[in-house]
Amino acid sequence: MIEIVDTGPLNTIQDLGRPGYRDIGVTASGAMDPLALKIANLLVGNDQGAAAIEVQTFPFRLRLRETTVFAVTGGANAKIDGVVLPPWWTQTCDAGQVLELLPSPLAARAYVAFAGGVDVPIVMGSRSTSLRGAFGGIEGRALQKGDTLLLGEPIATVLPADGLGVVPPASALAEFFPVAADNTLLIRALPAGEHDLFGADGERFWSQSWKISSQSDRTGYRLSGEPVRPTAPVEMRSYGIVPGVVQVPPGGEPIVQMSDANTAGGYPKIAGVLDADLWRLGQARIGSRLRFVRSSHAEARTLDKVIAAYVEDVRNTAQMVGRALETMAGPKPAVRKGKNQ
Amino acid sequence: MSVVDFSDPATIAFLAAALQAAGVDGIEIIQPGRTLRIVTGRDAPGADPLVQILQSTSCAAKPDKVSAPMAGVFSSHHPASSAPPSQPPLKVAAGETLGFIGIGSILLPVKAVKPGVMTRRVAEDGSVVGYGDPLFEFEPRP
Repeated sequence: MIEIVDTGPLNTIQDLGRPGYRDIGVTASGAMDPLALKIANLLVGNDQGAAAIEVQTFPFRLRLRETTVFAVTGGANAKIDGVVLPPWWTQTCDAGQVLELLPSPLAARAYVAFAGGVDVPIVMGSRSTSLRGAFGGIEGRALQKGDTLLLGEPIATVLPADGLGVVPPASALAEFFPVAADNTLLIRALPAGEHDLFGADGERFWSQSWKISSQSDRTGYRLSGEPVRPTAPVEMRSYGIVPGVVQVPPGGEPIVQMSDANTAGGYPKIAGVLDADLWRLGQARIGSRLRFVRSSHAEARTLDKVIAAYVEDVRNTAQMVGRALETMAGPKPAVRKGKNQ
Repeated sequence: MSVVDFSDPATIAFLAAALQAAGVDGIEIIQPGRTLRIVTGRDAPGADPLVQILQSTSCAAKPDKVSAPMAGVFSSHHPASSAPPSQPPLKVAAGETLGFIGIGSILLPVKAVKPGVMTRRVAEDGSVVGYGDPLFEFEPRP
């Protein structure tokens, strides 16, 4: 069991979301950075889609009520009882120890996973909190000071108690996920249905840089920059929306739909962000700049494979390293214990 | 995996005989916490070889070594950190992370087991190190 000692607003329990119910108007939800969630889970021996805590406002503090294996990934500076943890790290901690997360200048959201996963009821196949729908997670709401969370039964793993981490994907996969020299995030996207109705403005959508405005959240990012408009007014029927769809409202400043995206909308859509780049967008901070880069289906497939290979390498190598260390250390008493022991 | 006990007299005698038979002057075997040095007298065949065993114990004030917990690529700083690592000598607390061993995408911490001063980095950043290779020189200070 863990206890939330301190939290900002809008920190929630998330897993990989509940896709498959958009036809009845249910937002998928799920982690804004699914890659960080998967790695955090693999580091503590969970299934990659187990429920964890998504922290996007700081400071955040939790107390462990029993010996617990946990991992912190994504953007945060984490400390255990004041001792700094390396980024993207897993460790075993004792009952009473306090994990503190402070904001990182590099990325917006952190994920805290625990061996066994956060145990809240499954709603429509997922434990993700839907704040808009007020269901999932803890009674459909954000975490509050004083909340206690139950953990599932940990799967026995051989990860070293001394701690272990991963090379963060932004470093390990830097050649595939470029950032411009001036730190502008380069986000790959494909032109969408109404792109050609924007004429010359459609080209400027790609060439100019956009700032992520303060009106951005898990539902979508509103971008600010010189407006782009269709050459003639566009009247559209409503259509289905998924995360990554870039719409242009009449004001001309685009909106990128994110994890809590509406299920339908009617603004013209100018582009769709590649799935493989959504995790980077999920980590982009308010006030930072991005530029859209015209991509291809072939590049999208390549990037999907690059991410899958990284996740697979973390899964296999972490287990291999754990087993090798255990062999070298020789027999020892078990250090892990489940909540019922 | 079996670990050879280099403090065993039988092992030392076997090694010394093998060295003499091969015409090798000497050998030095460094393990975490122990160094074995055997020097055979080429000028005096048949003479007993000189055997030295240096044992570092936990209360010793002489330099200690912090060695690699596993084979991999050594790094003195985390790949995501932009700041260069501080230069030795560095005062460190017990359990403090001194560097990392990279195995694929996985990073293993290299930690100080006791408080003291890290006096020198032995391994180069980016070099491949083996299990037990010395990475840091370290003076324990209670």
